[in-house]
Parts: sequence; C-alpha cells; structure tokens
Amino acid sequence: MDGAPTSPRAETLCHQLPGPWKLGLSLAVIVSGLVTPVAFWPVYGVLGTLVFIGHTLAAIPLAYLARRMAIFLPLLLMLSISLPAVEGFRRGGDIMAAILLRGSLSFLTVLWLIRVLPFDQLLQTLIGFRVPVLLVAMLAFMHRYALLLWSELRRMRVARSARTFDRADRQFRWRTSAQMIGMLLIRAMSRAERVHQAMCARGWDGQFRQYERPREADQMPMRATD
Amino acid sequence: MHVSDGILSVPVAGVAALASATAVAISLRQLRDRVADRIVPFTGMMAALIFAGQMVNFPLFGTLVSGHLMGGVLAAVVLGPYAGCLALTLVLLVQCLLFADGGLMALGVNVLHMAVVGSMGGYAVYAVGRRVLGGGPRAALAAAIAASWLSVMAAAALFCLEFRLSWPGADYDFSKIFTLMTTLHSAIGVGEAVITGVVVSFVLRQRPDLIASDTANTASDISVRVLAAGVVVALAVAAFLAPFASPHPDGLEAVSQHADFESLAREQPATALADYEFPSLVPRWRSVPGWQMVSVSLAGILGTLSVLCLALLLGRALARASSSDASVE
Repeated sequence: MDGAPTSPRAETLCHQLPGPWKLGLSLAVIVSGLVTPVAFWPVYGVLGTLVFIGHTLAAIPLAYLARRMAIFLPLLLMLSISLPAVEGFRRGGDIMAAILLRGSLSFLTVLWLIRVLPFDQLLQTLIGFRVPVLLVAMLAFMHRYALLLWSELRRMRVARSARTFDRADRQFRWRTSAQMIGMLLIRAMSRAERVHQAMCARGWDGQFRQYERPREADQMPMRATD
Repeated sequence: MHVSDGILSVPVAGVAALASATAVAISLRQLRDRVADRIVPFTGMMAALIFAGQMVNFPLFGTLVSGHLMGGVLAAVVLGPYAGCLALTLVLLVQCLLFADGGLMALGVNVLHMAVVGSMGGYAVYAVGRRVLGGGPRAALAAAIAASWLSVMAAAALFCLEFRLSWPGADYDFSKIFTLMTTLHSAIGVGEAVITGVVVSFVLRQRPDLIASDTANTASDISVRVLAAGVVVALAVAAFLAPFASPHPDGLEAVSQHADFESLAREQPATALADYEFPSLVPRWRSVPGWQMVSVSLAGILGTLSVLCLALLLGRALARASSSDASVE
C-alpha cells in the first residue's frame, strides 16, 4: 500500500501554507469545476493549469500522479460512458466529457491536498474548524491502528498461502478471507479493550487535551547549539 | 464503489452533505455521554479494521472483477447504529483525505450511502429482523445477512435517484443505466451478505459478548427503528422499480419503444440485461404492452424475497454449524 506518502516532510511553498488554506483552495478548485456549465470548456483548461501549477510548486512527481490516474480513470470512464452508450452514441458526449474532466480535475486536486497536508496538520485543521473532539480522537486512533491492522492482515494472508500451499479455488478463498477478517476483528477489539483499560489506568477521564506544536520561540535554546 | 466528484451536481452533493452532517452530529450527540466508555477506542479500531478489510478482494463469481467488503452492517452489529455510522464516516474520511478514494465534494454523498444508509439504516433492518425472528444468535445472524444485502441495494437506489436529479435538463433514458446499476449491486450485495454472515457467525462463536445487545427500550425508539428499516427496505425495492423511470410522458409509447429495443437486442449474444427478465411462461404474455417492465420488476421483487429466504436458510445453517463446531473446539 503506497497510498500514504512516506517521504520525509517536504518544505515547498505549498507545504508551508496554513492547513485551512490548503483545504479551502482545494475545495474552491473542485467547486469551480462543478458549477461551471457543461460546455464552458475554457474554464476546465484554466482550472487544469492551476492544478498543474500547484503540483509543480509542491514538487509532486509525475509518476505518482500517473499511477493514481491509471487506476482512477478506467472506473470514471465506465460510468461516464454509460450515458452516451444507452443513446447509441448519438448524443451525450458533452455530459461524458464533463464528468471525465470534472472527475479528473478534482482527483488531481485531492492528490495535491494529500501530499501537502500531513495527517497531524489535518487533525489540527479539523479541530480549528470546530469538528467535535470526539470525532478527531477517533480519527487519530484509527490512523494509528489502520496501518497496524493492515500489516497484520497481510501477515495472515502470507500464513494462509504458506499453510495451504496457495490454494486458489474460489470457495476456499472466500471462506478463509472472511474468517481472517473475523479473526482480525476479535484481535482488534481485544486490543482496543486493553488500550482502553491502559488509558483508564493512566488516569484518562474522557477529556481530550490537544498537544500544541512547539513554536519558534520555544525551539531557540536548541538552535543555539548549531 | 465510492462516488467521485463530477458525477453528481453541486446542489445534490450539497443536500447529501447536509443530511450526512446531520446524521453524524446526531451520532456524536448520542455518544457524548459514553465518552469515558470504551466507545472511542472501539470505534477507532472498528474503523481501522473496516479500512483494512476493504483491502481484501473477493473474486466475484463468473467475472474477472473482484469485490470487497463495505462493512456497514458489520460495524453496526458490533458497535450499534451511532458508533457504526461514525466508524464508516472515519473510513470514508481517511480514504478521501489520505488516498483520494472518493471525491472531496462527494464525501457527503459517500457518507450518506455507506455510513447513514449502510450502517444506520442497515442496523435498523437488522434490529427489527432480529426482534421479529426471536432474538437469539441465529436470529441475529439471519438478520445481519438480510440487512447487508438490503442496505447495499438501498444505497444503489439512492445513488440512481441522485444521478437522475443531477442532470435534470437531459432527457436521456436513465432506466437502462439504473437497471445495470441495480443488477451489479445485487451481485455486490450478495457478496457483502455472505462475507458479513461468515464474519458475524465467527464472532458469535468466539466472542458473543462483542455483539451489541438490543438497546431499544421505549416505544418511540422501536417505532423510529421500524420506520428507518421501512425506508431502507422501500429504497431497496425501489431499485427494482427504477426501470419504470422513463422520461417520456406517454407510458405506452415508452413501453413500445422499449419492446422494440429489446427485440433488436435479442439478436445479439446474451447479456446480463437480457437475462434480467422474468421468463414468460405463456408466450402470449410477451405481446402484452408493459410486460417487459412488469417482468423486470417481478424479477426484482422475487429476487429480493429469495435473497431474504436465502439469508434465513444460510443463517440457520451457519448457526447450526457453529453450534456443532463449538463442541469440537
């Protein structure tokens, strides 16, 4: 799974924007694309240029975008082609083109957002937008354990093919896949229970306190040693 | 399948986002009193599990495509409706904001489909079904299986409605697309139902305490639940009535056009759409105008009923197998 960017935090102009700006800019581009009347093609060109500039400023490699688009475009194409297809390809081309353009534009915009908005900054932005702390806490918890569970599932898959000599018939795979999810569920819930008990043992009372990122002034003593 | 941006119009996406935000706010409010409870780690963990579980691909029968678990009813069965809704919302949030799976504007739409209809609506069907069937583990299993299929169909019907509303100026014939969508999602729904059934039976066997108990005590709770379940079932059934959604004002004209189209299509190799028809037992029935529409809906309604029966039988079989396995383990 190479979805989550694992490279060290880059420091381009786009990365340094405040979180709400990044979110706001992305939404603005997406909404502009969506409210544009279907046949106003130049607007899509302008938005596409903006998105391209954004990607360039954020130093996002083209290969990364191409890989993602290669997965995304066929699915969008399948849906967008359905309208002209039922009309025998006599009409509907403009709607198909609109869906394709808008979908691709917003997909590329979200890819930009993903690269420039790290997860912790996303959480802080959400708190800044008055999203209930309960939801943000659950989100943080999920992020922590999603990758853990995913690798545990991957290990289960390896164990399955090792113990069953990679048996490939469909019924077997269905049954064992579902059993793996069930096993993972039980393990995950037991772990969640232990985590909750550990939190309570350390004095958690249901309040969520926000950790503030250390500001420049606080880092001065460390810099003095450079 | 997550809806991406560009497919639905801004007003439709906006209304859906409002509805989802309301549902999420209600869920948060309901859970507010349980903050010190284990609900936070449980919901987060469930979201993480569904996120991981959605990566497991199940090869669909007869096709080269594979499907994956949606997890709405699974989350609701273990956590209850409100936490289940939140868990799915978290999954969709992360998928959108970390993996670009599903559009940003369409996030509200996806949450509406999967967290609200899929999880909360699915829970309503599950809870009502469980109560109707007696309340034991077998009832829970059968109800969960039925609820999974129905919630997938209901979400598909809702998407068809949103798609139709998004392109109002166009007088295209949406009914064929809706038929295809419905057929596809019936297959996906069966996969979801089977996976949910096996996982729930596994959990019932190993850790029955993890399954949330019935919490509706007052009459108003129960009536809200029955109402929600009714809406979900109505949507699911409506999915099969979608072929009637013809834009043409004259019903007979539209039907005769469809009949002509179908006779042309018959010369081609059999497609999924051609098979999606109730076989006319009496040849003379086929000449009745409107037969094609009626047959598709009949097929749909019979399909709904047969899946429900299948769910009951499967639930009994799995529960019986689990009770015999338990003695071995």
